[in-house]
Amino acid sequence: MIEAQNLTRRYGDFTAVQDVSFSLAAGEIVGMLGPNGAGKTTTIRMITGFLPPTSGRVTVAGKDLLDAPHAARRQLGYLPEKVALYNEMRVEEYLAYRARLEGLGRAEAREAIGEAMERCLLTNVDPKLDVRRQIIGTLSKGYQQRVGLATAILHQPSVLVLDEPTVGLDPKQIIAIRELIRELGRERTLLLSTHILPEVELLCNRVMIIDRGRIVAEGTPESLRETQVGNPAVRILLKDAPAGAGEALGAVPGVVSARAGAATGSDAAWVIEHEKGTDLREAIFREAVERGWVLLEMIRERASLEDIFVRLTTHDVAAGSAEEPAASEEAPAADETPAEPSEETAS
Amino acid sequence: MRALWATYTRELRAYFLSPLAYIVLFFFLVVNGAIFVFLILNLIDPRVMVQDPALFYFFRFSWLMLLLLVPVLTMRLISEELRSGSIEILMTAPITESQVVAGKYLAAFTFYASLWLPTLVYGILIARQSEVDWGPVAAGYLGILGIGAFLLAVGTFASATTRSQLVAAMVSVSLVLLLFLLAWFAERVDNEVLKQALSYADLFAHIDEFARGIVDTRRLTYYGTGVLFFLFLATRALEDKKWR
Repeated sequence: MIEAQNLTRRYGDFTAVQDVSFSLAAGEIVGMLGPNGAGKTTTIRMITGFLPPTSGRVTVAGKDLLDAPHAARRQLGYLPEKVALYNEMRVEEYLAYRARLEGLGRAEAREAIGEAMERCLLTNVDPKLDVRRQIIGTLSKGYQQRVGLATAILHQPSVLVLDEPTVGLDPKQIIAIRELIRELGRERTLLLSTHILPEVELLCNRVMIIDRGRIVAEGTPESLRETQVGNPAVRILLKDAPAGAGEALGAVPGVVSARAGAATGSDAAWVIEHEKGTDLREAIFREAVERGWVLLEMIRERASLEDIFVRLTTHDVAAGSAEEPAASEEAPAADETPAEPSEETAS
Repeated sequence: MRALWATYTRELRAYFLSPLAYIVLFFFLVVNGAIFVFLILNLIDPRVMVQDPALFYFFRFSWLMLLLLVPVLTMRLISEELRSGSIEILMTAPITESQVVAGKYLAAFTFYASLWLPTLVYGILIARQSEVDWGPVAAGYLGILGIGAFLLAVGTFASATTRSQLVAAMVSVSLVLLLFLLAWFAERVDNEVLKQALSYADLFAHIDEFARGIVDTRRLTYYGTGVLFFLFLATRALEDKKWR
């Protein structure tokens, strides 16, 4: 539904986004992750047609954003990072204005507004919670966000683009908005940018990690875990810290290393790293039984997206290339440092 | 067309929903009322010889309010959208920059024209006491609307260049003032062609003409061209924002 080809955007000498390509199939919910300033918003603005790319192409639902901007924009609903509405208008009035802007007819508009308000929970049987007639400037941030979402879905777009939809909301509002996003994503293609990791795990079936204007990793949260993280590990807790456990565990076939973990009381924790593609839980269990250890806990250690994210977007001096990472922030287009740690692990 | 209409109605509504509109309307009427009273006091003074129609003097003075009205009415038109960021939702809708500019400009003009509406009362008041020649009055209003249309386009352009309303106001005051003063330069230049050109642009002379009932299409063409030119610049200024 969205096809982005070799998008590059420069602001003067600064390259905010460089050669980014991706595509979203119909019905997908894709999360765009990245630290602040990584180029997420710039990328999104190029996809929504707010910013023209310095080079590259975008098509939305088969319509080229440059050749047929209006047709492409009609297919697209957009919630910007900063939801700026017209504060002096009432919710209903604002939506009516947006409907007219989108070219909806009178009857069509009335229906669309009713539905959008209903879906975004702007209506309520309790008149206190019904904000249809309320002036936008007097609404809380969460409600304004909902009005923004209602605006985005008003014209029944097939693609929704949401830029940090939960930023600045309180936890309760965040949950409500996420629920709403999940609901909206059922029948639409959805691109979501965020720097909140659990959000991606919760909502998305595919993730793109953007850093310094490039896509450094892409895949399902699952596949990212597998490709990005070193060896899988199992964490066990043994009662009364049996002697010689370290050597015994290290000798189990397939084990790469066994490290002592943080112990609780008199019990001993071990983190057993093993080769990829193997499952050693049974072997570890049998080893424990054979030696008469009491196995209190056994947990498969799962790398969180957080780990992957930190790994991909941290640029410490020790890692890899001799180039100082601070300087490469402004690295020009002809960047010839494929030795960047992030690049290596990307594919 | 629908998008333009949507922008126009929203903008017009924004005028009437803001306190600014009523403050402007109030002071506009206070000043115009003062001018009118002053005018009447002078006209009934037997020592003053009057040849021109009574309202001639009214147009002659009150149009000067444009110098203040234009920046106040236009400064927030586009600047506010740029500052708040609502421009982002606006420009990702199926609408072009020129539709946005035109819609907003037309709303400003409509509001401006509606400011003058209550002043029609002055004509009626005079008509109750003496004969009024309505031709020059109509021409006077035409002049007021024409010059207003022109200068409001200048203000719209100023508003499209910046996200600060204050800067927009200052730019439009300066530009409008320059246009006011063109005629003064006409007296100072030697070049005959330039002198001629500048005196054509003499807004003071224009309004005097109109108020005497002379409708010269060259003046109207001047305003029309000015409107198109400055709205074109405003559109380009708005488009340019994308590239930075």
